[in-house]
Amino acid sequence: MRRMQSQIRSDSAEFKAASEKMQDVVKRFHDLQDKVRYDRPQRDLDRLKRQNKMLARQRLELLLDPGTPFLEFSTLAAYDLYDGQAPGANVITGVGVISGREVVIHADDSSNKGGAWYPMSVPKIVRALEFALENNLPVVHICDSAGGYLEEMSGVFAPGGRVFRNQCILSKKGIPQVAIVCGHCTAGGAYVPGLCEYTIIVRDTGAIFLGGPPLVKAATGEEVSVNDLGGADMHTSISGTGDYPVDTEQAGILLAREIVATFPRKPRAFDWAAPEEPYYDPKEIYGIVPTDYRVRFDMREVIARIVDGSRFHEYQPKYGITLVTGYARIWGCKVGILGNNGVLFNDSSLKAAHFIQLCNQTGTPLIFLQNTTGYMIGREYEERGITKDGAKMLMAQAGSEVPKLTVLTSGAFGAGYYGMCGRAWDPRLLMTWPNAQMGVMGPEQAARTLGDVKLAQMRRADPDLSDEVVQELRDRVRAKAENETSAYWFTSRLYDDGIIDPLDTRNMLGIALTCAAGVSPGAPHYGVYRM
Amino acid sequence: MSITRLLVANRGEIAARVVRTARAIGIKTAVLRHPAEVDAPAHAIADQVVTIDGPTPVSAYLDIGQIVQAARHIGADSVHPGYGFLAENAAFVKALDEAGIIFVGPTAEVIDLMGDKVRARNFVAERGFPVAPSAIEDDNPGDFVERARAVGYPLLIKPSAGGGGKGMRIVREDARLRAEIETARREGERYFGDGRLFVETYIENPRHIEVQVMGDGQGNVVHLWERECSIQRRFQKIIEETPSPALRPGQREEICEAAAGIARAVNYRGAGTVEFIYANDGRFYFLEMNTRLQVEHPVTEMVTGFDLVAEQLRIAAGEPLGLQQDDIHQTGHSIELRVCAEDADADFRPAIGNILLMDEPAGPGVRVDSGILEGGKVTTDFDPMLSKLIVHGRDRAEAIARARRAALDYIILGVTTNLGYLYAILEHPRFGFGDLSTGFLDEEADALKRAPDASSTDILLAATALSDARLVQAVESVPAIYRMMGGWRN
Amino acid sequence: MRRILEVHGEEIPVWLASVGQFHVLHLGDREIPCALTTAPGKGAFTLDLNGTSIALRIAVGEEATFVHLDGRAYEIGRTDPSQPLGQADGGAPQDRMIAPMPGAVISVSVAAGDAVTEGQTLMVIESMKLETTITAPRDGVVSEVHFAPGDSFDGKVVLIGFEPLKDAS
Repeated sequence: MRRMQSQIRSDSAEFKAASEKMQDVVKRFHDLQDKVRYDRPQRDLDRLKRQNKMLARQRLELLLDPGTPFLEFSTLAAYDLYDGQAPGANVITGVGVISGREVVIHADDSSNKGGAWYPMSVPKIVRALEFALENNLPVVHICDSAGGYLEEMSGVFAPGGRVFRNQCILSKKGIPQVAIVCGHCTAGGAYVPGLCEYTIIVRDTGAIFLGGPPLVKAATGEEVSVNDLGGADMHTSISGTGDYPVDTEQAGILLAREIVATFPRKPRAFDWAAPEEPYYDPKEIYGIVPTDYRVRFDMREVIARIVDGSRFHEYQPKYGITLVTGYARIWGCKVGILGNNGVLFNDSSLKAAHFIQLCNQTGTPLIFLQNTTGYMIGREYEERGITKDGAKMLMAQAGSEVPKLTVLTSGAFGAGYYGMCGRAWDPRLLMTWPNAQMGVMGPEQAARTLGDVKLAQMRRADPDLSDEVVQELRDRVRAKAENETSAYWFTSRLYDDGIIDPLDTRNMLGIALTCAAGVSPGAPHYGVYRM
Repeated sequence: MSITRLLVANRGEIAARVVRTARAIGIKTAVLRHPAEVDAPAHAIADQVVTIDGPTPVSAYLDIGQIVQAARHIGADSVHPGYGFLAENAAFVKALDEAGIIFVGPTAEVIDLMGDKVRARNFVAERGFPVAPSAIEDDNPGDFVERARAVGYPLLIKPSAGGGGKGMRIVREDARLRAEIETARREGERYFGDGRLFVETYIENPRHIEVQVMGDGQGNVVHLWERECSIQRRFQKIIEETPSPALRPGQREEICEAAAGIARAVNYRGAGTVEFIYANDGRFYFLEMNTRLQVEHPVTEMVTGFDLVAEQLRIAAGEPLGLQQDDIHQTGHSIELRVCAEDADADFRPAIGNILLMDEPAGPGVRVDSGILEGGKVTTDFDPMLSKLIVHGRDRAEAIARARRAALDYIILGVTTNLGYLYAILEHPRFGFGDLSTGFLDEEADALKRAPDASSTDILLAATALSDARLVQAVESVPAIYRMMGGWRN
Repeated sequence: MRRILEVHGEEIPVWLASVGQFHVLHLGDREIPCALTTAPGKGAFTLDLNGTSIALRIAVGEEATFVHLDGRAYEIGRTDPSQPLGQADGGAPQDRMIAPMPGAVISVSVAAGDAVTEGQTLMVIESMKLETTITAPRDGVVSEVHFAPGDSFDGKVVLIGFEPLKDAS
């Protein structure tokens, strides 16, 4: 593959200014992420100390192989919901390396509200288990949750079952799960360890019961201690619900590592070569991608700073030029990349559908780098069947059997978001850059349209609206639109798998590809393309 | 009378050493082995290995009946006792005599005589050889104090029934004599239930000088010069050398002639060693005679060129001494280091373990008499001495340099040895000057401790981690891509 | 890939990483790139560390590694932090010896108030034609003995009770 030629002048004043702006955006993201990860009320930290419990992230570091990466999903889930009471939805999920094997990890974070599950905790855990299902990866659960957060129980109840359903399907598919019970698993929560193949229970802090002692006393009058009702010794010697009693969390975590070491390794699919760092400096991405999605940039320059050796074999370089397609390697894995370089036209849509099929023919994973404001509108394009052609892109995706990975780099609007493998098209991972914005339409457009509608309503009621009122309305509408098209809004609601620093994207893709390589893609089979 | 089949009633390095010489002169050999013993060099080179048993391994080697029976059973016409075990056991000699088996060593009578320290001392004194002035209370309790005073100061009061250094009191001035006698008596009663005492001249900073003698029991006796064995810890010799750096010209002949004279006086047959205690002012006194081949005999062999075991075997076969005193010269200097399984940093506690790797030093002037094989196990069943490292040089400086190099090159891994301690002694300036006494190791105990080398920590950690196959395999089983990403977090 | 290594009397936690041909030993905040290759000679190796090549001999034992470096022999203890789990778990202080299944008592060797040591025989029972000796799981004091020789008992009943340990840490 040929090395790309970059046209970027990274020493220009313009470039430097743009880079600084983007770095500010990235820094604000990192600051928020740190806050969500580490800021905890002192009284919760004290309580954990009293209970002899480690922090969730300490447990994680002990569980993972030292010197290996950990890709965390949806760190900022629920960060602006529930009055910020559930940072990360009180749960940590991601994929890491344990005893040399990739493992999906779900760790309850009891340093906040005792690790209670809020409504958003459920889809976060469900999503992690889906990732395990799609990539055939074993799962380790570190259970330490107070159970469903009572005040939000109605939002947890019905969807919550999907967690256990996914656990069952994992087992059905022959994918083992390990549970380390470091806290109480009460009521529904009891099923997490109950559905695992290997369950470790820490004495005196871990317990499993459908109803805790207070509930039991209230229901039947029976008085029984936590340990007798559902403690480590009872479950590992009498009921058989647990498999290994351990004296400390450390012992439990080390035992889990030993168990994972017994899991078989899978052969690796796809075409791998020795990895190579990008030739161009990835840091230049900060100066290439603007903080304002309306400003254009050449997606090839971004590709050049993500792929191995900055080498890219461009497919159909002259046709459908608003979509860049081609082959490259990321961390040694051969992939097919689709990247937006403008609005999607008929030809670029056809090119996309065609390239997707090409990659499926050779079992090559697909990477979608989104920067789109959607498909072209207008009579000429409608007559040429722009809707049909967009539909073909969607159909190609649905028939695709190779893994797909999506990164929202700047704009992700309208049906273009769907066509470029949006959330609903099952990318193994969909991650967003902190500057990205997404929605049905751009915030200004949304603000203008919505504002116009509202103003029309208001003018009907009161013909003499002052300019200030108008402006205030427009401002309010725009602020709401901007907020609801920001990456943060989406990530909080789990519409993506997390916000990621552009510089971390290469590693994220490498890890995702390695995880995906555990499953050989099947033969593609497409529905009907409207021709 | 000749010797054709020799049973070596011993083990370890001495059994191998005796077998080597016996084979070289065409004698068939057999050694003993207890089931608890692992493979050793002697087992590999002897023609036969005879199993002996006993409640403890040591007890088997002291079982006269079993050993005599073993010798008969294999048709041995001779037994070499090595050193220790039954080497100075008159009953063993008699049992062999009755069985018509040649004992490679002196007669039972001589063994008995020299084995009784008091009898030996008296025998030697009566014949005019120097013994340390002393006064035995038992001889006449009435004038004991007078006789004690006559010994001269400094003097040492010892309990008659005692041993191990208990109850001994040093008296340097007459004013203290009576009080110390009373104290010693009380201690004798307390420790040994017997308050009787004897008094001996006390030598400050004594040196231990011994002389190798050889006789054929037919009236011919020679000496093969002296050895100095002052490097001792708790009365155990650790380093021996010859010639002694302490002796002035003339003194050497005087001591060696005295030793030969003593051996002649008993018409000594075989190899023996006369031990003296030597004071800095040149006085020396008879200590005891060991009627056997000693551990440190190799240094004598290195400087004189004679194979003492070969001589023992010839003499035991009835031949007259093949050596003339005029033919026996010391050439160069030899030092022996006793390599033991003990932890010098933990009060010399005996060490156990498996000999995972062993590489003996070699080179000009280096000889290793080893009782261990690589892959063997070291237990506390027997004495902790593993081997002897003997060097020879054209002078003492060269011998010390060679000994140092050999100690560094001698690799025994898997069990703690005193090689580091031996090296520290060889490096000590006083050793280089020959400024030795039997108190040397105690006096220099602190100087001989070697502090751990902090700069080696990283090296040791890295070597250990990288040679841990399971660790390396676990690390390398992590897919390369993850190892390259390292501890990345998003 | 974690180990606790004991050198010069000090226990040092380390972990090993590998990148390509090189390994990196991590201890505390420090990283030590290193590589070990075999050299001619028994147990002989060359260790590359901090740009220098060091000759040494290594013998690996069950629980310790022995190194001969610069004429000195060293012993480095190795512990795999997860290894203690190889044996059964630490074991909670057991206060009750429970009958595994119904049976009968053949003999009783202790009475309430007796001080016993770990491993000491407490009682011999017979179930399903198998004789089992019940031994003390820890040092302690017997607080109750529920059955006498000849008595039969049901499964899951308490046979012998211990005084609880005062300070179970």
